[in-house]
Amino acid sequence: MSENLTTVAVVTGDSTRQREVTRGRGRTQSNWGAHTVLLIGGIVMVSPLIYQVVMSLSTSQQVESAPPTFWPGVFQWHNYTDVFAQMPFGQELWITVAITGVRLVGQLLLCSIAGYAFARMRFSAKGIILGIILSIIMVPAQIYLIPQYQIIQGLGWLNTVIGIAAPGVFSAFGTFLMRQFFMGLPQELEDAARIDGASSFRIFWNIMLPLASNGLWALGIITVLWSWNDLMWPLIVTSSAGTAPLSVGLANLQGVHTNNYPVLMAASLMAMLPILILFVVLQKRVVAGIGRSGLK
Amino acid sequence: MDRRSFLSLAALGGVSLGLGATLAGCSSSQGGTGSQSGAYKAPSKDLKATISYAIWDVNQQPAMEKIIAGFNKIYPNIKVNIQLTPSTGGAYWTKMTTLAQGKNLPDVFWMNGPHIQLFALNNQLLPLDDLVTAGAVKKTNYPKALVDLYTAGGKFWGVPKDFDTIGLYYNKDLLAKAGVPEPTSSWTWDDIKTNGKKVSDHFNKSVFGFAGDLTGGQTSWYNTMLQAGGYIISPDHKKSGYDLPGSIKGLQFWADLIEAGISPSMQQLTTTLANDWFTSGKLAMVMDGDWETAPYHQAFGDNLGVVELSKGPKSNQCVIHGLGNVISATTKQPDAARAFVAYLGTKDAALVQAEAGVVIPAFNGSQTVWAKSIPGLELQLFLDEAKVASPYPISKNTSAWNQFETDILPAAFAGQTPVATAAKQLADKMNAALAKE
Amino acid sequence: MSTSTAEVTAEAARTGSARSSAGLRRLLPDGPWPWIFIVPTLFGVAVFYLWPIVKTFYLSFTTVGVFGGSTFTGLANYAQLFTDPQIPRSILNTAIYTVIVLLGIPIAIGLASLIERPGMRFRTLYRTLYFIPYVTMPAAVGIVWRLIFNGDFGPINWLLSLVGIKGPYWLATPGFALVAVAIVGLWMSLGFNLIIISAGLREIPQELYEAAQVDGASRFRQFRSITVPLLTPSIFFVMIMTVVNGFQLFDLLYVMLGKANLAMPQTQSIVYIFYNEAFIQNNQGYACAIGILILAIIAVLTAVQFRLQRRWVNYV
Repeated sequence: MSENLTTVAVVTGDSTRQREVTRGRGRTQSNWGAHTVLLIGGIVMVSPLIYQVVMSLSTSQQVESAPPTFWPGVFQWHNYTDVFAQMPFGQELWITVAITGVRLVGQLLLCSIAGYAFARMRFSAKGIILGIILSIIMVPAQIYLIPQYQIIQGLGWLNTVIGIAAPGVFSAFGTFLMRQFFMGLPQELEDAARIDGASSFRIFWNIMLPLASNGLWALGIITVLWSWNDLMWPLIVTSSAGTAPLSVGLANLQGVHTNNYPVLMAASLMAMLPILILFVVLQKRVVAGIGRSGLK
Repeated sequence: MDRRSFLSLAALGGVSLGLGATLAGCSSSQGGTGSQSGAYKAPSKDLKATISYAIWDVNQQPAMEKIIAGFNKIYPNIKVNIQLTPSTGGAYWTKMTTLAQGKNLPDVFWMNGPHIQLFALNNQLLPLDDLVTAGAVKKTNYPKALVDLYTAGGKFWGVPKDFDTIGLYYNKDLLAKAGVPEPTSSWTWDDIKTNGKKVSDHFNKSVFGFAGDLTGGQTSWYNTMLQAGGYIISPDHKKSGYDLPGSIKGLQFWADLIEAGISPSMQQLTTTLANDWFTSGKLAMVMDGDWETAPYHQAFGDNLGVVELSKGPKSNQCVIHGLGNVISATTKQPDAARAFVAYLGTKDAALVQAEAGVVIPAFNGSQTVWAKSIPGLELQLFLDEAKVASPYPISKNTSAWNQFETDILPAAFAGQTPVATAAKQLADKMNAALAKE
Repeated sequence: MSTSTAEVTAEAARTGSARSSAGLRRLLPDGPWPWIFIVPTLFGVAVFYLWPIVKTFYLSFTTVGVFGGSTFTGLANYAQLFTDPQIPRSILNTAIYTVIVLLGIPIAIGLASLIERPGMRFRTLYRTLYFIPYVTMPAAVGIVWRLIFNGDFGPINWLLSLVGIKGPYWLATPGFALVAVAIVGLWMSLGFNLIIISAGLREIPQELYEAAQVDGASRFRQFRSITVPLLTPSIFFVMIMTVVNGFQLFDLLYVMLGKANLAMPQTQSIVYIFYNEAFIQNNQGYACAIGILILAIIAVLTAVQFRLQRRWVNYV
């Protein structure tokens, strides 16, 4: 019954964690099977990347030889420093961070409020509007290139960070994601707050949003990743080297007839490193102490 | 005679001969200081302007910057901003088409054969005839085939920048091991087949005798089609030549090679490109473009040889393709753009490219630096080929039937459909597309 | 053992609370807030995304010049659409690809539940390992996987040769090419699925498991009766996104198969056809019609999934 669930949810974060840890100690032995599966799977997942690292430390000839040389012998560390000589890595990194930052903040804000509205609020034509918004991810992404270019051009935002970031601030996917997360939360909390007379906004801001933090972290990671690797749109909207993000810089490394694969691989690994570090660091924060606490 | 009066004289001469260009069709009248019609006059040396120059090859960017530095010695106040866009996946052309729709093309940009007519005949470019009549650009300075490539609708649109021709590279070591003589300029198709077979047999298919890159026509079937007396597209760019008997012979050449095991199979050639087979020492001879000279030499040193293409039933002609520098029709700085494009067509700019060694410059006589760049290799052959080469086959919507080529021909090369049938099918489809242009 | 308290709770959550709360909420108005909440997104989406779709819809009834300008041609493009032999085949290819990539969802659920087990060590390591493919740049990924699947020199065929099997030319043989591309698609999407499912898993209160354990339910039983039912909103989301993204297959195909590939007709996706018509054939009007077709297909599939969700998705 619903009361059971409410009682269940009233446990504070502290005691939940404590119970986890206590139980954890007893269970470690029985996790060997899980560890084996996860480890093997993990290695399979990562092996193409290990290969990429190997390629980045090889010479061009070793990479392009048939069969490719799987072990370079001498590590060509200079490929990594060559990256800086061949592309303005630092500047492009900064641009990418700026674009991603704008999109991230925009999406977290807009998608969470819109997602909540679609999940919990009642208003006319909700279903139809949601359907219309969802339809934008159902067409080939290339159809947006030219129209969006002309809109940004009309706004005078070509070659600016805001111009590159603007269309990406609005996301049907993000709205849908947050809607799902909000719909997975119990309604009792809201009902209780409403009975207490709280306005919709307060309910959202003080109660629902904190509870949806898992969803927000997920949305955040996905948005950052998509924005980091976004290529076609920035490529079209920037003409000057001063506003090109990393993805465009990487694409520019590819020559017409000759490709310096090792440097390309090194650059691509360096480009993904910030995200990876961010993910590892934030992971722990995400896990620690987030639970369905809060109803007292 | 000082430059200015000479040019004015030439301009008068041009006008009086009725050759003055009219820019009526392609107005560039947004602001700017340019004259819109009539003769071209080199702008004053202290013209102040900023123009954009779009390119797609990062390997050539240093050379382009050097050229701009040279240009700035003459026009110190014209700032040229290079815009690099990658060429992979057609990104450059997607971008240019988008910019064109927004009437925001860069002032000057690189153009290639497949796209020149698309842009020129759709009024996206500024005709350069006035530069020619003013003597700022002399057509005789470049291979005729290139000038023809960039002439469309009776007007001249692009100053040739560089060119590529095709040669036969070989691995001396592998040939010696198989007891096969090195190719010479008198070899014919049969020599290729016989000797190629000897190599493949000797190494028991772990090393192949001869191949070309069958993912595109430029370094393979275009050339053999010409050599057998066929052609890819009629000189007026209106009719397909694929169903000509000579063309079919040219295509059959490759199907025969694959069937006889002289060349890797079609599956092998699409998953590992021909130049990779060659560089790894698994292919003894390869038909490839001059751009591979430096990389192949780096891989093989003295072990590398290169020679003209072998003779087919009619000739050993190859295709020639080259980039051109064009001006956008909507440029706001037509004078500066024209001055820059004229400079790009000079011998000085060509010599910078030659020294950089990445491409063969189009300016006749500037290529000796490139031809002598590798001792031991007679690179003059590429230059000689340019004199008799056929212009790269194009039409207004080249990419459309290029796609048909790569859709239909692989099955023919792989022996899954008879070459004659595939060729006819391709010709029909191509003609249908050409009719729509 | 009979159903534990935890299972009963989960069951009740599925059916009971929804009814009682709905009744309560109908009595209280939401005022203008819903609109205030959705207007920014609606506005941005309308300007940047809906307008292009409307334009695409209009252009699908025209022939478009390469650099702009269109002439109305009525239903000509759609007529061509229904007689073009490439289209049905490409839809089939895209569907097969999507189905294979959907297999990644049960894999992700299994992996996520292993990783999120209470007291599991090295969680960060595992999450990172499975997440890494999602982080890499697509261009580099394509190059690496091309080499892996190379018929002559790639590691996969090398491994197969060790057990005496002569591997096919994966990327140049019809059928195999689609499987190869789908494997890469699955590999890339696993990280994405894992994040969503993990977040969903963390929503499930620990107490339910504990209560079940007290009742003596096995781990698998708990998984089946607690984890999966309460995970259904996340599973639903991931399914929708996989189908939507699956039908958008293009970049991967382009990089892995390249040009003049014998396997292309049996591998090309519907978006690949769209790209070909729009940017290579310069047939933008027809391409717009294809775009609308893609929209229709995905919309129908999504609507069906939304309909069916009432049967199996449990919102608490």
